[in-house]
Amino acid sequence: MGRNEIRLRRHRITAHGAERFRNYNSVLKRHEENRRIKKIVRVFGFFVVILVVIMIIAFLSRWEERSQPKGKGQPKATHGSLTYPPLPSQASLLWLHRQTPPRATRQL
Amino acid sequence: MSEEEIRQEETIIAKAKGNPAAFASLYEKYFDRIYYYLYRHTDDEELAGDLCSQTFVNVLNNLKRYEFRGVPFSAWLYKIASNELRKHYRKTKGKKILSLEEVRIKELVEQSDEVWDESQINKLVDFMKDLPEDMLQVLELRYYEERDFKEIAYILDITESGAKMRTYRALDKLRKKFKIKIKYDG
Repeated sequence: MGRNEIRLRRHRITAHGAERFRNYNSVLKRHEENRRIKKIVRVFGFFVVILVVIMIIAFLSRWEERSQPKGKGQPKATHGSLTYPPLPSQASLLWLHRQTPPRATRQL
Repeated sequence: MSEEEIRQEETIIAKAKGNPAAFASLYEKYFDRIYYYLYRHTDDEELAGDLCSQTFVNVLNNLKRYEFRGVPFSAWLYKIASNELRKHYRKTKGKKILSLEEVRIKELVEQSDEVWDESQINKLVDFMKDLPEDMLQVLELRYYEERDFKEIAYILDITESGAKMRTYRALDKLRKKFKIKIKYDG
C-alpha cells in the first residue's frame, strides 16, 4: 500500500463543473455571520473576564477579613478620629433588665 | 504576473479590507483555480465545492491581516486552500488523494526516450504513490499549478532553496527510474 492515493482521470476537467459552486453572495453571507459570532464571543469573553475579576476581588476581601487577628470582644466602632466603646448587645441588655429589681409601686 | 496586475490586485485588496463586497472581482478571477486545486486533491466535486467556499470565507475573515510579501495574491489563496485540505484530512483521517489527468501524464511521458505503454504509466502511478508527500506537493504545484519556486516556498512554508531542493530530488528519482527528462528550471 502506498502513502498516497493517485487516481487517473480519463478526461480533462472542464469549467462547467465549478459553476455550480460559484456563489459570492453565500460566501459574503457566511463571512458576515462569522464576523457577528466573533463579535458576540468577544463581548461575552469581556464580561466573563470582568466577572472573574470581581469574584477574585470579593474572594480576596473576604479572605482578608477572615485572616485578621481577632481582638478581645468586639472591635471598637470608629467614627472619624473618635473611638466609641462597643454598643451593648441584646443579650447583655436582657441580663441587665433581669438584674434590676422592680420599682416599688406607689401605694395609694 | 505583471507589476501592473499585482498593483491592481493590491488596490482591490485594500478596498476589500473596508468593504468585503469589493473582493468579488478577485473571487471570480481565482475561483476556478482554487476549485480545481481542491478537486484534484479530493476527487469529489461536492467536497471540493464546500472546501472552496470555506477557503474564500477564511480569506475574507483574514483579509485585514494580509500583507504583500513579494508573491502574488494567488499564493496566499493556495496556502489557505492547502490548510483547509490538511484540516479536512486530519478530521477524516483518510488517505491523501491526488487525482491526475491521464492527458497530463502522457504529456510528461512524451519527454521520455522510451516508448510508453499502459503498463509503464501504471508503474509511474505506483511510483508516485510511494513518493513522500512533500515531494508530491512540490511536483504538483510546480508542474500542475505552474507556480514558481518563490510561491511554492510561500505556500508550503519552506525556504525557496528548500522548494528547489525538494523538486530536484523528486525529479531525480523520476529520472533514475523512468528515464524521463523533465525541465527543472531551478
